[in-house]
Amino acid sequence: MAALRVSCGAAASYRLFLGGRVSFARGQGLWKAAAAKPQRSPGCQILRLRHTTVVTTRKNVAVLRRETYTVDFIKKQIEEFNIGKRHLANMMGEDPETFTQEDIDRAIAYLFPSGLFEKRARPIMKHPEEIFPKQRAIQWGEDGRPFHFLFYTGKQSYYSLMHEAYGKLLDVENRQDQLRAKGLFSEKTKAKDPIGSRWLIKEELEEMLVEKLSDQDYAQFIRLLERLSALPCDAAEEEFVGRFRRSVTIQSKKQLIEPLQYDEKGVAFSTGQGNRKTAKAKVAVYDHGSGRIEVNGVDYLLYFPVTQDRASVGSQRIRVGI
Amino acid sequence: MAASAVTAVRGWSGLLLGVRSVVLRLPGLTQVRWSRYGPEYQDPQIDKGYYRKPLAALTEEEKYERELRKTQVIKAAPATRTSSVFEDPVISKFTNMMMKGGNKILARSLMTQTLEAVKRKQFEKYHAASPEEQATIERNPYTIFHQALKNCEPVIGLVSILKGGHFYQVPVPLADRRRRFLAMKWMITECREKKHRRMLMPEKLSQELLEAFHNRGPVIKRKHDTHKMAEANRALAHYRWW
Repeated sequence: MAALRVSCGAAASYRLFLGGRVSFARGQGLWKAAAAKPQRSPGCQILRLRHTTVVTTRKNVAVLRRETYTVDFIKKQIEEFNIGKRHLANMMGEDPETFTQEDIDRAIAYLFPSGLFEKRARPIMKHPEEIFPKQRAIQWGEDGRPFHFLFYTGKQSYYSLMHEAYGKLLDVENRQDQLRAKGLFSEKTKAKDPIGSRWLIKEELEEMLVEKLSDQDYAQFIRLLERLSALPCDAAEEEFVGRFRRSVTIQSKKQLIEPLQYDEKGVAFSTGQGNRKTAKAKVAVYDHGSGRIEVNGVDYLLYFPVTQDRASVGSQRIRVGI
Repeated sequence: MAASAVTAVRGWSGLLLGVRSVVLRLPGLTQVRWSRYGPEYQDPQIDKGYYRKPLAALTEEEKYERELRKTQVIKAAPATRTSSVFEDPVISKFTNMMMKGGNKILARSLMTQTLEAVKRKQFEKYHAASPEEQATIERNPYTIFHQALKNCEPVIGLVSILKGGHFYQVPVPLADRRRRFLAMKWMITECREKKHRRMLMPEKLSQELLEAFHNRGPVIKRKHDTHKMAEANRALAHYRWW
């Protein structure tokens, strides 16, 4: 058998081939291959070890630094994107002035059809702000002195935001005190807003500030904002708080409700479908009905042999209120 | 104000509230038992009384909670959770524990036969008894079942703790769900192992349930043995660190 000797920095691999010929391996990896050539008798397959060497040198593992994009580079990318957008609009025969991002997505999907399962690997054309991660510009001048007064805290954007929020809180409290001194203060509790928005989550705040935050920092900030929003604020403060709120979708709005259909007698009905593994089901619910539920023409109590299935169909009737 | 800070929606990657993607932790092993739902999914509300309540009868908290539910994603209700009046969560749990190999139909039929057997035995006793005794005989199989399992629940449990190369049985307080589980587990194990080969499960189970209802029988004995063992090993209680 061949003796294996692997020298540092080299890797060798071998493959088994049917009826292959033996090749002498050369290179940094030293292999002693089987010497003799195989005697091939007709109609017989001989297994031979075929040795090949893949020469790899030790990689110069450079220090993995995050690629820094300069401001000029990003500006150039944005210009290129805008010009490219106009070209694309021309290509698709649309008006370049009113070419939106959805139109771009549709055009790219049309021009570069991709069957890749990973949606993120498909070709995209988006504004460079969305593609290149936000990075901080150099925080200090030529003399080495930082621009921001909170630079040496390490989290300048976060602390300046906290500073601003607390300043606003103090303003509101001052205003309340002044009103109370004049006697014009009315104790009206703020109406609890219905659910339509939520606070930013930590990841969103980090992206906004381009800074890493800890959980405690985030919780502290949200507590401060909640304190601020509990007091009667004027428009500027509401706008400030609104910057950190995101709207919440009502899940039922995501359901597509088909319009009612009418059969030949004028009775309204609606259809729906569902599937589970390889089973498919189509349902039609008719208006002014008798309350009967039929499965493939047979009453559901007779169709299902298992009690649990009967109960689960019957319970839909209870839940709907028929 | 609306949804509080730290319990805010946690789905990142574009805030997609979706099914949790499968992450293979070990090569060659897939997670089969874990839920495919992310943490933001809420449990469904099956109780029909919840939806029938008129709007005027709701308190502020309930109204707020309903508004909040409109924005949350809900898991699909399992087929076992029907709005049927005959559905009992304890019976369902017991049936699932009796089930072998996914044969729910068999487990359910055994359960109904057991309850029928319990009812028949109690009715025989009722008709054979004098009027004063008739008042004390319980005939509802569901109450007998619930009471029997409650009687079988241990108060304190034992846990094997490794210390100094030896395993010690340390007395430990049990959560309610653990107690209920142990009661059902002991009942089922007892009925499977200690019956005659030709005796059927409903017959044996009905026998054991009636005995447990009257606080006698092998399952109650096992509970008392556990208590005695815990009492005997109470010196080892400090081995517990939680």
